[in-house]
Amino acid sequence: MISVSGLSMRLASGGRVVTILTDVSLEVPAGQFLAIAGPSGSGKSTLLGLVAGLDQPTAGRIEVAGVDVTALDEDALARFRRDHVGYVFQSYHLIPTLTAQENVAVPLELAGRRDAGDRARALLAELGLAGRAHHYPVQLSGGEQQRVAVARAIALEPPLLLADEPTGNLDSATGKQIIDLLVGVNRRLGCTLVLVTHDAALAAHADRVVTLRDGRIVSDE
Amino acid sequence: MTGFVLRLAWRETRGAWRAFGYFFACVTLGVAALVGVGSFADSLERTVAHSARSLMGGDVEIRSSQPLPVPPEQIVAAAGLSRESVAVTRVREVVAMAQAGPHVTQLVELKAVEAGYPLHGALLSEPAGALDTLIGDGRALVHESLLSRLGLRVGDSFRVGAAELTITGVILKEPDRAIGVFSLGPRVLIAAADLDRTALIQPGSRVRHRTLFRLPDGGNAEAFRDRAAARLPIAQRVTTYTQAQPGLRRFWDQLTMYLGLTGLVALMVGGIGVAVSVSAFMADKQASIAIMKALGAGWRPLLIAYLLQIAALGLGGSLLGAALGSLIQPLLAPALTRLLPIDLTLTFSTRAVLRGLAMGVGVTLLYALWPLLRIRHVPPALILRREAEARRPGRRPWLAMVPIALGLAALALWQAGSWKIGALFAGGLAVALGLLALGARGVVALARRVPWRGAAWRQGAANLHRPGSHAGPVLVSLGLAVMLVVAIAVLESGLRSQMTDRGPDETPAFFFIDIQPDQAEPFARLVAEHGAIAPAELTPVVRARLAAINGAPISPPERTRREETWALTREYVLTWAKEPPRHNTVVAGRWWTAAEAAGEPLISVEEEIAGQLGVRPGDRLTFDVQGVPVAARVSNLRHVDWRSLTSNFFVIFSPGALEGAPSTFIATVQTRPDREGPMQSAVVAELPNVTAIPVREVLERVRGVLDQIALAVRLVAAFSIVAGLVVMAGALAITRQQRLYQSVILKVVGATRGFVARVFAVEYVLLGAAAGVTGSALAAALAWAVMRWAFDLPGRWAPGALLAGVLSATGLALLVGLLGTRRLLGRRPLGVLRGE
Repeated sequence: MISVSGLSMRLASGGRVVTILTDVSLEVPAGQFLAIAGPSGSGKSTLLGLVAGLDQPTAGRIEVAGVDVTALDEDALARFRRDHVGYVFQSYHLIPTLTAQENVAVPLELAGRRDAGDRARALLAELGLAGRAHHYPVQLSGGEQQRVAVARAIALEPPLLLADEPTGNLDSATGKQIIDLLVGVNRRLGCTLVLVTHDAALAAHADRVVTLRDGRIVSDE
Repeated sequence: MTGFVLRLAWRETRGAWRAFGYFFACVTLGVAALVGVGSFADSLERTVAHSARSLMGGDVEIRSSQPLPVPPEQIVAAAGLSRESVAVTRVREVVAMAQAGPHVTQLVELKAVEAGYPLHGALLSEPAGALDTLIGDGRALVHESLLSRLGLRVGDSFRVGAAELTITGVILKEPDRAIGVFSLGPRVLIAAADLDRTALIQPGSRVRHRTLFRLPDGGNAEAFRDRAAARLPIAQRVTTYTQAQPGLRRFWDQLTMYLGLTGLVALMVGGIGVAVSVSAFMADKQASIAIMKALGAGWRPLLIAYLLQIAALGLGGSLLGAALGSLIQPLLAPALTRLLPIDLTLTFSTRAVLRGLAMGVGVTLLYALWPLLRIRHVPPALILRREAEARRPGRRPWLAMVPIALGLAALALWQAGSWKIGALFAGGLAVALGLLALGARGVVALARRVPWRGAAWRQGAANLHRPGSHAGPVLVSLGLAVMLVVAIAVLESGLRSQMTDRGPDETPAFFFIDIQPDQAEPFARLVAEHGAIAPAELTPVVRARLAAINGAPISPPERTRREETWALTREYVLTWAKEPPRHNTVVAGRWWTAAEAAGEPLISVEEEIAGQLGVRPGDRLTFDVQGVPVAARVSNLRHVDWRSLTSNFFVIFSPGALEGAPSTFIATVQTRPDREGPMQSAVVAELPNVTAIPVREVLERVRGVLDQIALAVRLVAAFSIVAGLVVMAGALAITRQQRLYQSVILKVVGATRGFVARVFAVEYVLLGAAAGVTGSALAAALAWAVMRWAFDLPGRWAPGALLAGVLSATGLALLVGLLGTRRLLGRRPLGVLRGE
């Protein structure tokens, strides 16, 4: 599903160049639940973002579902994400000016689904948010916002689900709910799930754990 | 406490310059418009004051349609001055027909002068030379346009009346030419003796007699005027150079006042931008305000500190605006100086600048006050939890609006310099703002309700009604600007069509004046032979002055205040009629029967002048008809449709009452445009003293004046549109982070740049179109009201102007919006989401 080879990422920051990833290579088969672990600043989130094409790497190649992500332009990347990737962020990143249901409906609308509103409502109901569909993000608790974000990520049943510390801003009980939700989707839909976390207990749920430190893979088990 | 307030104001300003860029621009634009107009008005006033003596051609002028009844030496003596110390010269002005060959004729303004003219200033001619070497003995100086119109050159001859005149040169500058804008034809300058040789001056002819006096150095012109006035009948108007060219001054005072108010709209539009900026600034400052409140600061010192800061920023923007305004003055000048008879000297106007600064700071503070008052309701608990509820505003939060509205109204009054106009402006502005705010609410509600089809439309429309949207103020400010500009366009088109959209049967080709009684019959025959569509309508006229109202003579002391006394001292052109003329409706009393008319002299008075004279049916007016008093009872008041291009009269007598008075005829004649030239030539050839006023040419000239005014008005109004767009750009800048965030999240879930751009475009198009529609609708209403009540003309739709208003508002909003947000589209999501 994912094939990363020789990936490097350097960023200019405050006049000096910061190396974030160095020569990372990784193969993830379809349907796998992979956890990427490592301390903060180890480059895990950047790796995940690059896989989704949210930025361009300095060097290396990323292939997802047979598509060379590094060769695509902005708009092609957007279409690629729409068709292949669901993304869940640590800080939810819902559009603050849209209601919960509208947030979930966005990818459906972009895909031209006529039933976008109904499907979004159904998804929210599945996640126990039927009563919150018309609330704006600020009116929702953190756990509720993250569930809306998950609903948005899986709305189009993408083959690849990426989650960047999805429980980082939540208390442990709520965090557990979210993880169960993501793993459930992974099992039910058979999609590939890549979860970034620095929580060893969380990583233990995964089929496989890759650990990063200072931008390099230090273990893969 | 004062120290704290000042330090706080400084600290908050230090970091805020960038955030206040749009705030700055809004104030700058408004003040620039005001200072530009103000400086121009000031330059004009100074130039007129500076050249007042030459504009009059003397220190004191006696002006009348009748010759001075006493020798001027008597007046000099009565003023207690020696004959030798006062220079006197007489000027007579008439309109007449110039004739160069059998088919070439032209209406000219003939001016006959004596030695000594002008007493102040200089007449410049090409070739240059002493005036007595250029005119006299059948020689004339002419304005250049006469040469081209008659196909003549210097050295050639032409006829005026019975006299043959040889052109010796061209007039370059004539110091005392009455308001150049509305002249009827080119100037022809001759010596006094030559005017008599033209034989144009006959009983009842329209002649303007001017006697000019130059006093010795240090002579008191006012004292001279008062002494002279006391010795002269009311018909002789005595004025000093400080009152020179009252018509010119009134014209410019009015024009610059309306231009100033147009500029004030730009500042009012900009004020909304100020309110939006301050509002966003306050939202950012909630936390620091909460902290300071938690540390024990009351809301008053906080409010004062922020007010100081806003005042400083407003002053900065105003200073920049004043500089810009002083710079645009030369831009405004060329559009208007073509209407000026004098060379305008542009000067830097301290007064206009100071006034602009005061206006800028005043409007800034007033508009900023409303959002700043929110300081009162920021709860200190905000530092503990972000969701802490704002303290409920007092029971009547709108009460704070009252002093704000009053303050803005006071500024409008100050700018207008007139209670009536200022109140109208402030009231109109308040109504417009209220309606625009209502309209904005309606638009936002509509954006929510409409089941938009297509994801981009849904998202874009949603941006209008989402939390944090600035659609309201943007719609109001843009709508106000659109209203102003479109209303001007609609008015312009309405006034223009008033002049052009007439059937040939409605518009006479000519007014003929000064037809002597024995010429009436040959005149009627002449025009009939030369293609008149209908028989010439000949109306007898008698020139007269008002002598008494209800037996009380018009008292001399009132004459110096021209505005109020115009109706008392003007020359009345009287006529008589059996039936009320067309385009006239009796509004009080009733028209006379033949029997009533036979009983006593009756008059019908036009309603507005009756109002100015304070007369009603039953009152008695006495007219001085060239020395003979004629009294008559007011039988009725009339409404006159002044738009009808026909002879209209303020006062009409019953038949018989004016019999025997020296009368002439005036006539309106309709003909096809291609027959106008031959008809004019034929009449002038046979009846050289009759003057033909070509209506089409006059309308053409009025249209030319309108063009110049419209250009200047549009220039000033453009500031409002730019200010409106700056308000919009400012509102977009405030929501920039929100937009950037929205755009990258849309990209994360699969939106292309094109889609994001479409979402924004939909929002801007909806904003622009909504502002365009509401603004244009209000403009249509405003223009209708102005046409109806200010110009007394039927309201008119100008669908072209309205449509152009909507389309250009939409286009400009789209352009400004996309320019403001285009850089957001290229941002890569990861960096933005990490807060880089």
